[in-house]
This record gives sequence, C-alpha cells and structure tokens, in this order.
Amino acid sequence: MELSIHLTEKNNSLVIHLSGEIDAYTAPQLKERLLPLTKQNGTLIKVDMEAVQYMDSTGLGVFISALKSTKENNSKMKLIHIDERVYRVFKITGLDEIMDLEPRNKVERRNG
Amino acid sequence: MGKVVHSNIENYKSLLKNYIANQDEQSLYGVDMVSKSFLKNNILPEEIVNLHIQVLQELYPDLSEDIKHSMDFLLEAMISYGIKQQEIQTLKEQQMAIKSEISVAASMQETLLKADIPSIDGLEIGAISVPAHQMNGDYYHFVKGKNGTLGLAIADVIGKGIPAALCMSMIKYAIDSYPEESMAPKMILENLNRVVERNVDSSMFITMIYAQYLPQSRRLIFSSAGHEPGYYYNKANDRFEELKTKGLALGVLPDVQYQEYRVDLDQDDMVIFLTDGVTECREEGQFIEVDEVLDVIKRFKDHPAQEIVNQVYKHFERLQGFQLRDDFTLIILRKKV
Amino acid sequence: MEPQTSCVTIQKEWDIVGARHVARDMARSLGFSTVDQARIATAVSELARNIYLYAKKGQIYFDIIDSVDRKGMNIKVIDSGPGIEDIGEVMQDGFSTSGGLGAGLPGVKRLMDEFDIESEKGVGTVIYVKKWVR
Repeated sequence: MELSIHLTEKNNSLVIHLSGEIDAYTAPQLKERLLPLTKQNGTLIKVDMEAVQYMDSTGLGVFISALKSTKENNSKMKLIHIDERVYRVFKITGLDEIMDLEPRNKVERRNG
Repeated sequence: MGKVVHSNIENYKSLLKNYIANQDEQSLYGVDMVSKSFLKNNILPEEIVNLHIQVLQELYPDLSEDIKHSMDFLLEAMISYGIKQQEIQTLKEQQMAIKSEISVAASMQETLLKADIPSIDGLEIGAISVPAHQMNGDYYHFVKGKNGTLGLAIADVIGKGIPAALCMSMIKYAIDSYPEESMAPKMILENLNRVVERNVDSSMFITMIYAQYLPQSRRLIFSSAGHEPGYYYNKANDRFEELKTKGLALGVLPDVQYQEYRVDLDQDDMVIFLTDGVTECREEGQFIEVDEVLDVIKRFKDHPAQEIVNQVYKHFERLQGFQLRDDFTLIILRKKV
Repeated sequence: MEPQTSCVTIQKEWDIVGARHVARDMARSLGFSTVDQARIATAVSELARNIYLYAKKGQIYFDIIDSVDRKGMNIKVIDSGPGIEDIGEVMQDGFSTSGGLGAGLPGVKRLMDEFDIESEKGVGTVIYVKKWVR
C-alpha cells in the first residue's frame, strides 16, 4: 500500500492531507515530512486523516515523536477526520488523552 | 579454477560447432551446463563474449569484419553487467554474514528472555509467543514471589525486528532489577515508563500490562500502559468481558501515573492477555476481530490452558497462510482448585 | 613510438569520449587483451563522468609503466570539486545506485588491478588506478 502526502498552507496554518495506509513501509516517509514542520516555532499543523483507513503502531510512533517535537519547539499539532478503527489505536495506547484528536463525524459521513 | 575454465572453454567450442551444424537441443542443454559452471567460477559476461569471438574466428577464419566489429561492440556492452555481477556476489556474501549474525542474536535473545512458567497454587497458566521474523518484539515474563504470588508482564514494542528486540532486553533487565514482591503493578509501570522515556528513541514506545495474582484472595490486580485490553471469561455465565483499562503507553511522557484494576476469579474463570499481533493481523485485507480469538478459546475451553493458546496460534497461523505479519503473544490464566 | 604520458582535461561531456579514446589506444599499444581494453576504457569513462557531473572540471593523466618484469598502465584523476566526505560509504556496494559524487567507484575498483583515493571536502579528489598487462 502507498501513502500520499500533500501539504497545503492556509493563513498561518499548515494542513497535511494523508491518503493511504501508514505502516512500517510508509511511516519513514511521513516522519520525513512531518518532523521538520513541527520544528517551526509557533506553527499549527493539522493532519487530515480523512483518507487513512489503516495505521499500525509504527505510524503511531511517528505521531508520538512529532508530539514530542511540538513540545520542544512550541508548535502545535492536531489530527482531524480520524477513522474509527484508526482512532481505536490512539485510544488503546492512551494517546487520545494527551493529543489533540478529532474523530470523523459519523453523521456527516452517513449523509454525505 | 584455471583448469575448470579451460575445459569449459573447450566444451563451449565443441558445443557451438555442433549447434551450428545441427541446431540440436542437446547442445543447448550442454551450453546451459557450461554457463552454470561459468557462473560458479565467476566468469564475467564480457569474457564469455570474448570467448565466443575467439571460437567464431577459429571456426570461420574468413569471418566478415562487420561481424567481428559487431561482436566487439557486444563485448563493450557487457562490461557494466560484469561489474554488477561482481557487486551482487559481494552483496550476497554480506547478506549471508548478516543473516548468520541475526540468527546468533536471535538465539541469544531467546536465552536472555527465556520465561519459565512457574507453578502457582490454584492457577493454571498457558503462554505462547512467536516472532514474525527471527527476533521477537513481544515479551512476556512471569515471576513467583516469596509469598506465592504471581507477577506477570506482557509487552509489545512498536515495530519488529532487531530494534524492538534490543528494547525488550532492556525492559527485561529493568524488571529483573525491581524487588518484585514489594512492587505493585502501577509502581512497576511508572518506573519502567521512566526507563523507557529516558533511553529509547523518540518514535519508539512500548505497551504493557503488568498483573499480580494473589492466590489467597483469588484476586488479580493489573495495570495497563496503553496495551491491547485483556479479557475475563466468566465461567458462571459462559461469557467474555473486556477488561477496560486506561493508561498511556511507556516512553511517551516522562511522568505518568497508572491506575490499578482488579478482578476476582472463581473456579474455571479465565483471564486472557494478548498483543495486537493477534488482532492486527489481517488476512486478505480483512482485520481479524477479537471475537474470533475468543471463539477459538471458547471452542477449546475444556482443554488445558497451554493447549488452548497453542490451538489459537495454530488457527491464526493458518489464517495468515503460515506467514505471521506481526509477533504473536497470548497468555491464558485459569483459576483451578 | 607511443607517447609515454598523456593528459586529458574533462569539462564537457564530449571530453569523456576523448578520455576513453586515449585510454583505449594506450591500452591497445601496450598489448592489453580486448576484454581488458574495454575494462580500462569503461573505468576511465566512469571516472571522467564523475568529474563532468559533480566536479565540473578535472584532469586525467595516463602513464605507461614499462619495467623489466611487467608492463601496465597508470592513471591519475584529479579534480578540485566538492570532495567526498565519507569515502568508506561511496566504496560500499549498493551505494552506487543512489548516484552522487563517487558513484560507480566500486565498479572502477573492480575493473582495475589497483585503486587508491584521497579526498578532502571543499578541496577536491585524487584517484589513482593501475592495470597490469597479463
């Protein structure tokens, strides 16, 4: 499986659109793109997980190291539109309590 | 080597002569053999082209200049293939060396992390842990306290292979250094969290459940650091219940408090702990639901605990076409008289 | 009588062909086999390409070695390009596929009998190779 990463900039906030699967093969790619962004003081990075159906623990590791980096560099990261199954991984590991996460809106999806 | 090559050159010559005369399959089979022998002796493609040119000139002294030039051209085109062939040979040797190093490391790890299952009054234990590759990033550990209690750890390091295995060895030695019987599960996780947070790469983390069984009170006390939830099998109503826990994975933040949970076990009740290698394994893109694991357990519930975990493993090994994608660890505790 | 020494300056892609030509002529006159002539030309080609692509400008010196017991060819390649930071890394097999300065050097080493390299970052690189007539 592939992971494609697109970056858009909207008035002072960055949005990273991810599409595909985040696993041991694609995680290094994500890390390479995401980490440098967290090192910019004061930025808000939104990671749009709308098109991510699967993420394993390697992917979680990337977000953990990005989270640590935001704390060191005074930047912020928020994950949005997280799939239910992917959200479960954040919940089990307890990361839902320390990260800014926004699950996918189920109602919105049913209507859409 | 020179001799072998020389006899092959002679062979090549007579085979080529034969083939030009008869276009027979036997000569083609013969040259197949010769080329295998060339490969074995590291003869490079440009040398074979050169040999071909020489043989042609011997067979046809009046060979046209155009053909000769074209053969020289072919020889030139083969040089880079020759370099690659040598490079591949070297890489192959290096790969063999690495493979044998890993297998030594894997057997060292097996010895280091060897977990004997202790016998505890009134408790039956079944445990299995199988690595997806040579090195295991899952880990379980039992310890019997002086007062007959059981300490149990089940853990999963992010990722697979050597980094995960190195990390696991560190955890084992950290746990070993704690005065076991005096430590509660939450204390153990809090201490381990500090060890992992300080010593491990920022993108690595570990999930773990630490549990303590007290035979006198038939009580299991446990804490979870972001680990896959365990299950409680209630014999009385023949049902499984998820053991809901909260707690952050080890190595994410420097100071973390963990909560303790408890479950009291009656005759033939079971507690099941597993790693996400059991539920995250996908067959043909389909996730295996934990219900499926519990179904298999239920089917074998009248068998000894070790037999049950073995059967579950067999079931999933087959589902995944005998190629595990992640390390697999499953532990079952059952209350006995 | 063949000249004992030649020097080719590499600056344009066309110069790579010139260097190959000098190398092959010298190899032929020394009595190298067809296969070895091709190997020497390929090695020189690789070295010249490295200069052209990464150092922009450099020289290749060709010398005939003609002693009592053996004959051979001595080639020295000098450039004042960016230099190679980690020679150990570029000499590793498999690295060449990633391109960059020093790509293909393990291949050059295999094509020739002797190989030596000195490089300093920001100063340049000197490569010495030899091949003996068998």
